[in-house]
Amino acid sequence: MHALEVKNLTKTFDKLVAVDNASFEVPEGSIFGLIGRNGAGKTTTIRMMMNIYLPDSGEVVLRGTKVGQDFKNQVGYLPEERGLYKKMKVVDILHYFAELKGKNGRDIHKKADEYLKRFELYDRRLSKIEDLSKGNQQKVQFIATILHDPEFIILDEPFSGLDPINTNLLKEIILEMKQRGKVIIFSTHLMDFAEKMCDHIVMIDHGKIILKGALKEIKSKYSQKNVSLTYDGDISFLNGNPIIEKISNYGNTTGIKMKEANQSQELLKMLIDRNVTIKKFDANDISLQEIFIELAGNEAGTNGKEARNG
Amino acid sequence: MVNYRVLAVIKRELKEKLMSKTFIFMTILLPLIMFGGIGIQLLLQRDEAKSTIDLVTESPLLTESFQTELLSSDLMKDGKYTFTFYTMDRDDLKGFLDKKKQALLEGDLTGIVFVPESAMKDKKIEYYSKTPTNPSLSRRLESPLNKVLIDSYFHNRSLSLEELTFARKGIDFAGFKVSLEEKISEAAVGNLILSFIFSFLLYLSLLMTGQLMLQSVIEEKSNRIVEVIISSVSPKELMTGKILGSAITAMIQMVIWLSPIILIISTTLFVLPVEFTVSITMNHILFLLLNFAIGLILYLSLFGMMGSIFDNPQDAQSGMWPIMLLIMIPFFIAISMMQNPNSPIANVASLLPIFSIMVMPIKATVVEVPLWQLIMCLVLNTATIFLIFPIAGKIYRVGILITGKKPKWSEVVKWLKYKY
Repeated sequence: MHALEVKNLTKTFDKLVAVDNASFEVPEGSIFGLIGRNGAGKTTTIRMMMNIYLPDSGEVVLRGTKVGQDFKNQVGYLPEERGLYKKMKVVDILHYFAELKGKNGRDIHKKADEYLKRFELYDRRLSKIEDLSKGNQQKVQFIATILHDPEFIILDEPFSGLDPINTNLLKEIILEMKQRGKVIIFSTHLMDFAEKMCDHIVMIDHGKIILKGALKEIKSKYSQKNVSLTYDGDISFLNGNPIIEKISNYGNTTGIKMKEANQSQELLKMLIDRNVTIKKFDANDISLQEIFIELAGNEAGTNGKEARNG
Repeated sequence: MVNYRVLAVIKRELKEKLMSKTFIFMTILLPLIMFGGIGIQLLLQRDEAKSTIDLVTESPLLTESFQTELLSSDLMKDGKYTFTFYTMDRDDLKGFLDKKKQALLEGDLTGIVFVPESAMKDKKIEYYSKTPTNPSLSRRLESPLNKVLIDSYFHNRSLSLEELTFARKGIDFAGFKVSLEEKISEAAVGNLILSFIFSFLLYLSLLMTGQLMLQSVIEEKSNRIVEVIISSVSPKELMTGKILGSAITAMIQMVIWLSPIILIISTTLFVLPVEFTVSITMNHILFLLLNFAIGLILYLSLFGMMGSIFDNPQDAQSGMWPIMLLIMIPFFIAISMMQNPNSPIANVASLLPIFSIMVMPIKATVVEVPLWQLIMCLVLNTATIFLIFPIAGKIYRVGILITGKKPKWSEVVKWLKYKY
């Protein structure tokens, strides 16, 4: 069962095609990643899902019905560009956002207090937003996103600009929401986060979907010829070796692509013979980053025009 | 159109605006400044500085007559005027002026009045001073000087005292206001002052409320809060809520400002001096408020639209002048119309949509306006809202999400065609 279906969405700004005939499905109870570089069309897609932009063509279907105000009420949305009223008090702004979602009254006020306590902001609840530190403002923003207990949580580049503590906090919230059966959709250009957290992904480049599906399946499909290696020593002898297709250095790890599947044992033997100290040897492993570069990387850097607003 | 989301927005706007220091400050202070201003003006007119005047004529006889008249006139009572009398002919006057020049420039001498012999024929007299256009001085001197000239002119002709008195008398131009109510009442300056007050209140309120609306839209846009909000409400709902919130605030303020006037006309608690009596009814006030409410929605749509185009106040200043003109021009028409409320411009402006928001209530205060015109004014302005609101809403919807460089007007026009 799909919680959300995106069907043939297209959006054009003037002559620029920001999203080009995008279709994908978000399964129930999953963490869904919308991945692509800056300007690929992620924000435009999300805005169309949120009914903030009307698509030129296509539609977004929520459990069988087209999205509208009903969907807005069930969503907690954290846009990439986020902000709060600076002059408002913390509790007032939380209550206001809940009220806009139709949640009012003592229950929601109690819940706001609970969240504030959990995020160690309870003693600041009567402070004005402008008096809070940036990190604390971000916490208030998270609370505002989830206070009304949304069924869907849509986060646009949620990790950009967060300090490490809030990054962990947000991860915690996302996993907790998943356990409670909520659907979490987030967009990111940081492959690491997507790889660690997502069950399903859609990769988007120049407004077009270039890859979609369950992360595990995608990885096993692309990883058969791949070895991810952490080592000490000299592996330059591998250059030009007949079984090696390509060696990519990712800093801490090195990705090695073989010409044929199942040549990884051969590679391991060669490394041991040459006295290379192997710290980690992960056959059939490929990072999302590698997949992305394989699919979109050949034209990376020649990417002249950027889609408006992501 | 108004649902719980719009109500939530209205509530927040009201809370923010009504509790703000600016609102409380302006609500209390503005009437004080205004009445203070009127008071100071009156004071300035009454409290003239001491005037020292040299009066020069060409014949001793005339000099003597002036001396007798002026020294016994009302002018001398409060001791503010000091006269010195000279007799010399025009040729000597030049030398006299040169001699007195220093005193004139230093202010020791206020002015020199020269009554030539020819004044007995054409009543033309000359006044030499650093500030020859001082209206209060000429007004106060006119009557006694005229009297002396008339007396001297008729001196040798056999006229009865009665005839002389009539000749001396100026015209008393008493104005009678003709209205539908069939009772012709002597018009007091009360209504004129009232229309003055109304124009200023409407003008200031529109400017202030509009500015605040503009700032608030820009703040939401530059704070990036707007996208969070429109993930819950539609841009149209947000705009409607903001406009209604601001309009209600402005209405509350206006009612507070008008409350003394409402008290005066609806009760007998306050007795005004006869010349300040106001002859308007509660219906006038109700029309003014209703028209103002419609006007607020109209202007606030425009201000909201402008705010959405720009993402900082500096850029917004440049886009604001067309709306400012739409407030200022009607204001100036309203002010100048008080002298001549039935001029063609006043007639057109009092029905022209947007302009009539300020002009019509003022006109109705000064003269009787037929009921159909009042209704027409309300209908036309309401119709204009339905014309402007969809356009403003569309631009607002596109504008609030676009940040970065200042858009060109041609781009803004393009937004109207966007499918959002």
